[in-house]
Amino acid sequence: MFFENVDFSALELPPPALKLREEVRAFLRAEVAAGSFAPRLGHAEFDAEFTRRIAARGWIGMTWPKRYGGRERPYLERFVVTEEMLAAAAPCAAHWAADRQTGPSLLRHGSDHLKEKYLPAIARGECYFALGMSEPGSGSDLASVRTRAEQVGGGWRVTGQKVWTSWAHRAHAFFVLCRTSPDSGDRHQGLSQLVVELKSPGVTVRPIPFMDGRHSFNEVFLDNVFVPDEMVVGEIGQGWKQVTSELALERSGPERYMTTFPLLVELIRRLGAAPDARAQEVVGKLTARLWALRRMSLGIAVALDPGADSENGATRTSIDLGTEAALVKDMGTFYEREIIDAARLLVEVEPAAATLDRLERYLAETVVCAPISTIRGGTTQVLRTLIARRLLGPVK
Amino acid sequence: MTTLNDVRLMLVESATRLFADHVDDKLLAAAKRDGWSASLWQELERAELPLVSIPEDAGGAGGTLSDAAAVLRLAGRYTAPVPLAETGTLAAWMLAASGIALPRGALTAGPVRDADRVAARHHSGRWELSGTLARVPWARIASRLVLLADAPDGAIVACVDPVRCRITPGANLAGEPRDDVMLERVAAETAAPAGRGVDRETLKLRGALARSLMMAGALERALELSVQYAQQRAQFGRKIGQFQAIQQELARFGGETAVAVAAALSAAGVLERGGDALLAVASAKIRTADAAREGALIAHQVHGAIGVTNEYALHHATLRLWAWREEFGNEAQWAMRLGARTQQHGPDPFWSDLTAA
Ligand SMILES: Cc1cc2nc3c(=O)[nH]c(=O)nc-3n(C[C@H](O)[C@H](O)[C@H](O)COP(=O)(O)OP(=O)(O)OC[C@H]3O[C@@H](n4cnc5c(N)ncnc54)[C@H](O)[C@@H]3O)c2cc1C
Repeated sequence: MFFENVDFSALELPPPALKLREEVRAFLRAEVAAGSFAPRLGHAEFDAEFTRRIAARGWIGMTWPKRYGGRERPYLERFVVTEEMLAAAAPCAAHWAADRQTGPSLLRHGSDHLKEKYLPAIARGECYFALGMSEPGSGSDLASVRTRAEQVGGGWRVTGQKVWTSWAHRAHAFFVLCRTSPDSGDRHQGLSQLVVELKSPGVTVRPIPFMDGRHSFNEVFLDNVFVPDEMVVGEIGQGWKQVTSELALERSGPERYMTTFPLLVELIRRLGAAPDARAQEVVGKLTARLWALRRMSLGIAVALDPGADSENGATRTSIDLGTEAALVKDMGTFYEREIIDAARLLVEVEPAAATLDRLERYLAETVVCAPISTIRGGTTQVLRTLIARRLLGPVK
Repeated sequence: MTTLNDVRLMLVESATRLFADHVDDKLLAAAKRDGWSASLWQELERAELPLVSIPEDAGGAGGTLSDAAAVLRLAGRYTAPVPLAETGTLAAWMLAASGIALPRGALTAGPVRDADRVAARHHSGRWELSGTLARVPWARIASRLVLLADAPDGAIVACVDPVRCRITPGANLAGEPRDDVMLERVAAETAAPAGRGVDRETLKLRGALARSLMMAGALERALELSVQYAQQRAQFGRKIGQFQAIQQELARFGGETAVAVAAALSAAGVLERGGDALLAVASAKIRTADAAREGALIAHQVHGAIGVTNEYALHHATLRLWAWREEFGNEAQWAMRLGARTQQHGPDPFWSDLTAA
């Protein structure tokens, strides 16, 4: 029923991955010691300098082919880097979307031109991407997007509005999901993905402040923006299929259950060596739940690794772990909240954003961002409907 | 590296076939009455499944603990009413590790309760055992009891014939024998100093691991039944599986089940490799017991009234889930132990402990 063919008992990190982990830890310790970044929870921090430093270590695009600036490392090693970054609350927003989403999409669907143009720059930590999917009228129902592209000589003219576009004000380009032919009954047809440079004439980015005043997402207006043919990702009309393929890895990564992890560490610190039985039980339970989620996530990453014979670094398609991956997101996002409540209820602490006390600050940062993870990347309700459909099959 | 090897695949395939061919409603109903299924046990013995993971030169069937784990998950999935875990993972493990020949037949092991002790003393050339043990699984149907006893010079493993003990029958919620056993200077048939790695802590860890694996399997069974039922049952002119409220519950149940499988199987691997056994097994037992609590009640909710009847098969899975989650330490007990250790180690090694191989 689940995990057919995944050998959890053999799931052990090989020596190169262990060595890599030590390298990443040493690097992050040195960064923190030098004060080059301040660990923060909640909104991921955008720090282009940090991104360039980790790119120099080969930790961006690390699973990609070497000819595109990658290192051809196994997924497992990317998993290790990701979880170490999360454990250290490192500022990864600049490269996050490109490393996790746009890079793999380009590898799988992009033309040689697009791959050569963007992948090496992403891997160097010099090119940042945003994702232009949501619109004012299209959230969960993404296939209803109204942004249109019309064919003109040598390319396309794009008009429409995107919203909640994270880091559009700092990124170089974004993936735009748009309609290239009118809805002809099958709404999943006629959608396409284009790469749009954010400095193109006709693009306007306006900030949308978050409730704590922070600026991370935006609305983006596209007014008759010219996009040359070579910026089309994959095939015209196949945008929907391209967007929904390869979700397994994206849904099941450590970022789905670790964004409040450093708060747990601070809680353990505050509780001290011998807390009362209630605190012990809560900490033990949180430890167990994290361990179990991590094993699940790790199992998926390793099973989807295409191995050495991969053409384009895309996930192995012979194994379908789509349901399991969606389940990691569903459970992981709720797990993150359990940590918040444990911290609130086990020690006397009030959330405070501007304080030197790390527990208070982490609590403030995680509480205001607690609603996010179950909304973005597929809301809980939509995700569960999808999971149930996979479990039930067609019910008539 | 992480897809199943051929040996495991064949083992899983043949064990699945065996369980599927033999475990049916009739067999389960009879076992609920009689305490077990002797006929199923014979089939399992013929296929050498009870002694998987016990070395061949010790009289076992060979294979790894992870192989045994795959079988226990299946035993849980088919709610097999037999002492599979007790015979191989607990009793035969203690015997083989202590260099004692394996007796024939179904075995069980003890003590299973933390507070219980068996005292051993050497008397005219043989070991005599005394003690009172609560809720020993399958004691009344086992051919031998394998006991980890305290002798003056350290622990010994001893094999005794249950007819020499006073056994007060008891049962868990699913009707599986959980018997009180009293030994008054019972002579051991065979005994030896406890072998390497055989101690009370490890016995309990292995018991908890076995129950975790069985719970993962029983959750799969309960989910399977729930999905089937949601596909068939119609109300308000629609299949109940078409209602979003039911879908949301099934999805949650799916998550609990999938994570239980991942945790239990992973823990077997960690124990086999000699990794951090407390972290792995405590996590597996906590997570599967939590999943049992959530999953069993969702299964019943989806089924409506039919699910709570003796007629319908769901209770074979859910009654076991409710029983097994308490056996060899429930989620609170393990969480306190794990939490106490986490706090003792402190915040700094927490992450590296968690990610250590
Ligand atoms: C911090 C943050 C960053 C984001 N960054 C980006 C980004 O960079 N790029 C981008 O494109 N988007 C981004 N998003 C948008 C995100 O993808 C959407 O918020 C998400 O897809 C949900 O859409 P919505 O907000 O319009 O909610 P809606 O879809 O309107 O949903 C509202 C409520 O209705 C429920 N609902 C909707 N449909 C169903 C259904 N069929 N069954 C049951 N319940 C249903 C939902 O679960 C939810 O509870 C971001 C969002 C956040 C919060």
